[in-house]
Amino acid sequence: MYLVPLFPLLGAIISGLFRNQLSKTAAGIIASGAIAASFVVSFLLFFQVKSGGAIAVTPLFTFIKTSAFTIDFAFQVDQLSALFLLIITGIGFLIHLYSTAYMHEEEPHHFARYFSYLNLFVFSMLLLVMGANYVIMFIGWEGVGLCSYLLIGYWFKNTNYTAAAKKAFIMNRIGDMGFLLAVFYILQKVGSANYATVFAFDGFSSTDVTTICILLFVGAMGKSAQLPLYTWLPDAMAGPTPVSALIHAATMVTAGIYMIARSNVLYSASEIAQHLVAIVGLATALFSATIALKQNDIKKVLAYSTVSQLGYMFLGLGVGAYTGAVFHVMTHAFFKALLFLGAGSVIHAMHHEQDIRNMGGLKKHLPITHITFLLGCIAIAGVPPFSGFFSKDEILAAAYAHNPIYWGLGVAGAAMTAFYMFRLYATTFLGSFRGTQQQLSHLHESPISMTLPLMVLALLSVVGGFLNVPEVLHGNAALHHFLSPVLTSESKHSLSHSTEYILMGSSVAIATLALIFAINKFSKNPELGEATGLGKTLANKWYVDEAYDAAIVKPLNSVSLLFKNFVEKGIDGLVNGSGKLVQYSSRQVRLVQNGQVGSYILYMVLSMVILFLLWWNQPILTKFIQKIF
Amino acid sequence: MNAIILSAIFGVVLMMASAFVSNRSLYKTIALACLVLLVGANIAETLGYSFFTIDTHNMLAFNKMGLFFNTICFTATLLYVFISSSEIERVDNYTAEYFALIFFSLCGIAILTSFNNLLMMFLGIEIMSIPLYILTGSDKRNLKSNEAALKYFLMGSFSTGILLLGIAFIYGATGSFGLESIKVGTLQMQLSILEVTGCILLLIAFAFKVSAAPFHFWTPDVYDGAPSVFTSFMASIIKVAGFYAFVKLFESRIETTSFATNPAVGVNWHLLFAILIIATLFVGNITAVFQQSVKRMLAYSSIAQAGFMLFALFSVNAFSKEGLYLYAAGYCLATIGIFAVLVRMKDYTFEGFNGLAKHEPTLAFATTVCLLSLAGIPLTVGFFAKYFMLAAVVKQGYAWLAIVGVLFAGVSIYYYFRVIAAMYFKSADENPAAVATSSTVKIGLAVVVAGIIILGVWPHALLNFLYF
Amino acid sequence: MPIHSLLDATVVNTANNYFPIGVQLLFAAGFVATMLIMSALLGPKRKTSDKLANFESGIEITGNARQPMAIKYFLVAILFVLFDVEVIFFYPYAVNFRELGWAGFGAVAMFVGFFIVGFTYIIKKGALIWED
Repeated sequence: MYLVPLFPLLGAIISGLFRNQLSKTAAGIIASGAIAASFVVSFLLFFQVKSGGAIAVTPLFTFIKTSAFTIDFAFQVDQLSALFLLIITGIGFLIHLYSTAYMHEEEPHHFARYFSYLNLFVFSMLLLVMGANYVIMFIGWEGVGLCSYLLIGYWFKNTNYTAAAKKAFIMNRIGDMGFLLAVFYILQKVGSANYATVFAFDGFSSTDVTTICILLFVGAMGKSAQLPLYTWLPDAMAGPTPVSALIHAATMVTAGIYMIARSNVLYSASEIAQHLVAIVGLATALFSATIALKQNDIKKVLAYSTVSQLGYMFLGLGVGAYTGAVFHVMTHAFFKALLFLGAGSVIHAMHHEQDIRNMGGLKKHLPITHITFLLGCIAIAGVPPFSGFFSKDEILAAAYAHNPIYWGLGVAGAAMTAFYMFRLYATTFLGSFRGTQQQLSHLHESPISMTLPLMVLALLSVVGGFLNVPEVLHGNAALHHFLSPVLTSESKHSLSHSTEYILMGSSVAIATLALIFAINKFSKNPELGEATGLGKTLANKWYVDEAYDAAIVKPLNSVSLLFKNFVEKGIDGLVNGSGKLVQYSSRQVRLVQNGQVGSYILYMVLSMVILFLLWWNQPILTKFIQKIF
Repeated sequence: MNAIILSAIFGVVLMMASAFVSNRSLYKTIALACLVLLVGANIAETLGYSFFTIDTHNMLAFNKMGLFFNTICFTATLLYVFISSSEIERVDNYTAEYFALIFFSLCGIAILTSFNNLLMMFLGIEIMSIPLYILTGSDKRNLKSNEAALKYFLMGSFSTGILLLGIAFIYGATGSFGLESIKVGTLQMQLSILEVTGCILLLIAFAFKVSAAPFHFWTPDVYDGAPSVFTSFMASIIKVAGFYAFVKLFESRIETTSFATNPAVGVNWHLLFAILIIATLFVGNITAVFQQSVKRMLAYSSIAQAGFMLFALFSVNAFSKEGLYLYAAGYCLATIGIFAVLVRMKDYTFEGFNGLAKHEPTLAFATTVCLLSLAGIPLTVGFFAKYFMLAAVVKQGYAWLAIVGVLFAGVSIYYYFRVIAAMYFKSADENPAAVATSSTVKIGLAVVVAGIIILGVWPHALLNFLYF
Repeated sequence: MPIHSLLDATVVNTANNYFPIGVQLLFAAGFVATMLIMSALLGPKRKTSDKLANFESGIEITGNARQPMAIKYFLVAILFVLFDVEVIFFYPYAVNFRELGWAGFGAVAMFVGFFIVGFTYIIKKGALIWED
């Protein structure tokens, strides 16, 4: 079991330490091989879990031991983590494979560094998923944050990119603080951070549960890019495209979902927290969908679409459809990885051009990319029988059962999703080429190591949904049954079959309409000019970054200026003064050490006399000291 | 018993080696082999395989704690010999004798970790110390080395006299040398004035041995004058062994002292210890600030570290016990590491370290880790060692003393970081290291650094051995 | 480990018991002082050059006594002391030879063995080679 995270760790260490010695081929093989190996092990584990079904906790060693609690370094593989392991290692492997070609222009040691980070990223995520308690999860959680920082700032010579990396890190830190507080709270209340113990603990008051859940959710907001901490994710596009794919599909952003799904027992006990999660999720879904409508950077559109899809997952978690959310994580991993890698393939072909206004008509130049990208778009738009349909529909159905308004807003978001995705598709692949002549002459389909992952992922995006066909469509809801031991508290919504058919039909119809409208509108005459009015607001992402800047960064800066000018001078004086005092006394005290044995012995005898005198007068001295303290 | 007998025998073996083996490069191999055997034999005894069964009439009592401390000391010595054997060879012609003396010192340590009787304690201290007087003066043609040896010997004899006087007083009061029957300073019974006087004399003698102020005067001169390789041994392994004996002697008193209940009787040990601690921290840290030579700075820093180790004496509880082991391991590692670098330098002043990071990045990095550990920066074992000590004091209810400790630890960062700053931020034209670094030294330093960091992240890797 | 022959001393351990010792010390010091003073006062004084010269077993003095000597003298002297101590230990052993039996023989053999090892060492190291 420990092999799963061990391989990527070894890969990271080897390619990191020997980055100057390894050739590109070697680094690629080591890194991809490590992930492939852990994928194989995950696969075996998955079938073990599937057949055995028991939750296995394997403690490796005692990690922290205090009188109040003991925390083991333990791994837990159950249905939930086994599923995530497959997603992480499987998609992680495809992305590694893809990266070997995508990053081929890099210097060998940067290339190895990249793969080292990538492996470390996967390792952290595996740790996060496999940990058997919140502390191990937190280690992985932090590791993921660190690796995202390293990878987003991979091209560290560009200050914009490092700023984006810093932003991601700081936003994540805000969320992490929530998570950390939650862990402390749990430790303080329960005296253990083991999942099994925490979930079985019955000494929580309702306030406790709500506080813990909300604190955990703050952590999830940071890591999974929810309102109001989502702003780092679009900026994280600064990293290489495969990294974006990794962040968006297999690792990092799904961490928040995983954490809440893992803690489903707690959330089911707190209605307030559930409502909060649902509302934040829904708001994020709609909000970022509107922003995505007007973005012109191919990766930014995908980024906002991820934020929006994550919103759906949180909606699912909030309304108690844990399986639906996990299911959506899985299908989303398929098609979002596909879309990002497809976008990467486009960018690769266009020589790092990312603006879709300068593309168009790529259909005939990049046939494989085109087909796979189209499949991905259909999947995310939720057209049956593609994977996105099943997962999204399950969430929406649960939302309807909870509150029809949730459903209505969710469908509106879905329509927007279909619209902007096909706007993206149409502008990029249909119509006529709008780039420079030079770019046109260099257009080429990407090499096999890039297209192969695309094809695999396309296949998964198409058929992935059949893993969990709901009963209403005469499926057997396989995933549902598989996960049921872990997600016990799932509320079973009681919708009649006819209602469900109507819901599905209407959401599919609306999405399809939006889709057709987008294709018609943008294939022939895409919008190339600057947006105006509301469009401008959307294109500028509702000015959220600017608002944060004005509301938080500027006031902080002025306060810090105030401190610098007035408070610091006093403190400086104090600090430097005590330093000077130490130096002065050092100069004096050192003179006692004069090198004469005779005087040393004299001092010692005097000290002995003083000690004995102290002893004689102890009662007086003790009273004196007690008076002082 | 394994450790005591075998270390003495191995010492004799090395003496004989110097007489019968003419190939001088063999000595260190023999010494290393003997050390490995010694560590092995000691671990065997920890596991219950004692090779010798000798009735000591309860003058020696072996327990897991003491044996584990032996293991720490012996392993540290192994590491020390591994790193510095080539330097030891360079001091003078008597390489094998130096190794033999080190073994005899280890024999003293093994007695100090198991004594159950004041006479044995005295023997242990003397067996441990006398070889050091010789080692200090081993650089025979160097006047500073001679002076240091003479000073060390004179003042050492002085403290031995005090120790004996203390033992005599206690014997006079109780009629026994046994530890368990005299219970140094127990307040349950009415102490006679002789016994208390004896205890305080013992306290003073031990304060001298572990260089606690105001009985520290020999330390800077001796550490500075002795050949650097042997300073390394004295400042690390010998020092912590002295502390172990100190705590072993005095731990039984604190368990039974409750001064608050009857302030009129007996000794407020806490007061005496607090005075020693504060004086030691003050002298060590404050004087180190102004030193020009790194070696002398390290001598004062070792006084400062002694101040921290005295916390273990101040509060005897589980925390301080664990802290003492951690401190012993961490302090030995860091001191051995930093002296291994120091002996390689042309110039022992702070300026002498300028630009080391550029010319010898490995050495500079190892030095940095060791200094960080001494300063008690987190992720190094030094942090946890200090943490345990302070936690023990706080648990005992003396938070103000912990605050004093933290303040002085803050001062210590100044002089430790001066070295780091010199290595990394100042430049020198020529390579400041005089001797090329061999791969043996690099391996040894890597072990030191790895040890410091592993224990700094996971202190229970060591402490769990106390409870197995 | 109590040493029984001395244990009795502890029972009567008060300042009073030291009084006779104090008296004896005073008496001894007084006796010495008196004798010296008496002989200085009463004795005849003849100061000749021979009388003022240093006494060296009746042999005429040659040069200063404070001249550097070969380190070998010290070495031999200190080694002599060591082995002298060894021999001294044989006396009590000889007295108790029968009572101690084989165990005692073993202990003494070990003791002598240590010395033989040391002796081999100093011989091998050339500590006793007089000429160099």
